Amino acid sequence: MSIDFKAFCRVFSALLLAVLPTAVLADGSAESTTILRFQQDTHAGFQTRTMVPLTEFFGVDADGAGDGNLSAHLYGWGRLDLADHNSAYNGGEGVNGALDYAYLQYRFKQANATARAGRFSIMEGILNEQVDGVSYRSDLPYGFGVSSFGGANVHSAKIIGAHTDGKGDGIFGGRINYRKGGLLELGISGVYESDAPTVSSPNFLPGTFGNHRLVGADIWLRPLDAMQISGHTSYNTETGRVAEHSYLLQVTPVKDLVLTVNYDEQHDRDFFYSSLLFADMVRNLNQNSRAAGGSATYTLPGNVELSGDYKHYRRDIGQADRFGGELRGNFLDKTLKGGFDYHYLRSSADFAIVAIAGASGSYHEARAWAMRDTASYFASLDLIGYFFKKQVEGKDTAWESVGSLGYHVTPRLSVSGDLSYGQSAQYDDELKGLLRLTYNLELPGKGDLKR
Amino acid sequence: MRRSPQITTMFVLIAALALTACAQFKALPNLPASHPERITRGPVACSECHEDNQKGTLKKFAAFDHSRTFVQNHRFYAASDDALCASCHKFSFCNDCHANKVEFKPSLKNGNRPDRMMPHRGDYLTLHKIEGKLDPASCYRCHGRANNDLCVACHR
Repeated sequence: MSIDFKAFCRVFSALLLAVLPTAVLADGSAESTTILRFQQDTHAGFQTRTMVPLTEFFGVDADGAGDGNLSAHLYGWGRLDLADHNSAYNGGEGVNGALDYAYLQYRFKQANATARAGRFSIMEGILNEQVDGVSYRSDLPYGFGVSSFGGANVHSAKIIGAHTDGKGDGIFGGRINYRKGGLLELGISGVYESDAPTVSSPNFLPGTFGNHRLVGADIWLRPLDAMQISGHTSYNTETGRVAEHSYLLQVTPVKDLVLTVNYDEQHDRDFFYSSLLFADMVRNLNQNSRAAGGSATYTLPGNVELSGDYKHYRRDIGQADRFGGELRGNFLDKTLKGGFDYHYLRSSADFAIVAIAGASGSYHEARAWAMRDTASYFASLDLIGYFFKKQVEGKDTAWESVGSLGYHVTPRLSVSGDLSYGQSAQYDDELKGLLRLTYNLELPGKGDLKR
Repeated sequence: MRRSPQITTMFVLIAALALTACAQFKALPNLPASHPERITRGPVACSECHEDNQKGTLKKFAAFDHSRTFVQNHRFYAASDDALCASCHKFSFCNDCHANKVEFKPSLKNGNRPDRMMPHRGDYLTLHKIEGKLDPASCYRCHGRANNDLCVACHR
């Protein structure tokens, strides 16, 4: 294996340059996680491929600029295959990357008002968008609040064959909310995206794909101290129908017991309408999807949580139930944690991987894990297994074990390695390993370090 | 010309924005930019120290205790209270799972953190063929319009 040291140096030079802005500010932080993997793919009849992808996740939060309220935030990742720059690792090229966000933020002195400019994500009410543009949000008197954003859409990978990602170029939207202290929050939100690209593909059913334009309402209600309701409903103005209802009821009858009931309903054509990837699946998924269920979680003395849950799925193509439980706890001042989880999915043949008579989509899932994190070392073990009711690709089970061992070189710098081995429907044997270097630089500032 | 509901909504938003100019902001305090004191290791329970209503969100602190229920349903809180989340979390914390373009599954990046409730552990490549038919909306919430490289390699 030959490692391209020139490329390696370029990556780390860029990393060091990116750290510099924080050094000139009084307050801020930088984070870096470097992951090196080694993989070999051997398939009968094909040439053995070796891949050594090096991925760097890097972020900077530089606070206290200007009058002290201006900050800059950046996060992204880059990957270089040290063995072969032209390899098609992970569905992409040997060299790849993404800028998740990069924006300037001004934080006003009152009303939680902030203004942003650059690339950022919006999660408000029914909205979940990534934008190159500007945004503003603020609390208003009498319990009201407002947020708005606008700019250019951040485009994503093109769908092969369609030659587009399915997104319009421009986007704007916002949310207005009203809060009544401790009792109620109501929100109304909407998004308007410029016209979606025309897709001329014989794969699409007519009327299943189009513009991204939604309005919706969300609620948080606490009518009693022991009861809380959260949820939202979205409406697709292009199809003229409700896209989704999603609601959660939480009840705490006694201090350590939490009961939940959830209800989700989607109308697939209206819900997936602006996603080129998902709209194409409507032909198989049909239209109506409902899921309802509940859970009970009890916190036992000694930081141990015991929970049980049940969910019923009803779709046009069939029905299924999932039920199970989980036990998790943390001990020794939260330096030792562990858990056990079991669930069973009981589904009709309609949900089987190949939905033919006699097939089954049912399976058991069991997982056990433990981790220890001390001032000097950290270690973990994670075992997960799936037990299929009917064989999948000739296999009754699929399982994976992941072990990790690391060392805190300093409070800011740690090095760790993961090794995993498993057998699955995809591979008879799958052995994976990685090395991880994590560095968190914290410059003097007020308050706790953010994570 | 037909005025779409979104345009109408935008006009209302602009009017509300104008109101902010003359609002009495001084009566509306900010949430702290970061938690004033060091927080113990997770999972964090805000109600261990706080009893009153949270000033910025006007909700009980107990609503934000990072219980199993909270983590599983955090989308409802993130959609209205992200300013509170930002007191303790960088946005990059969200990006481990929620991003337009992810490098690999979150449980691989955080293989040393089995305590975090991350999706797609184990042989999810096989399981997604079942789970995707069962509850595609749960896939859509993260992958909806991101067109992740691994998704588009097969779904085209």
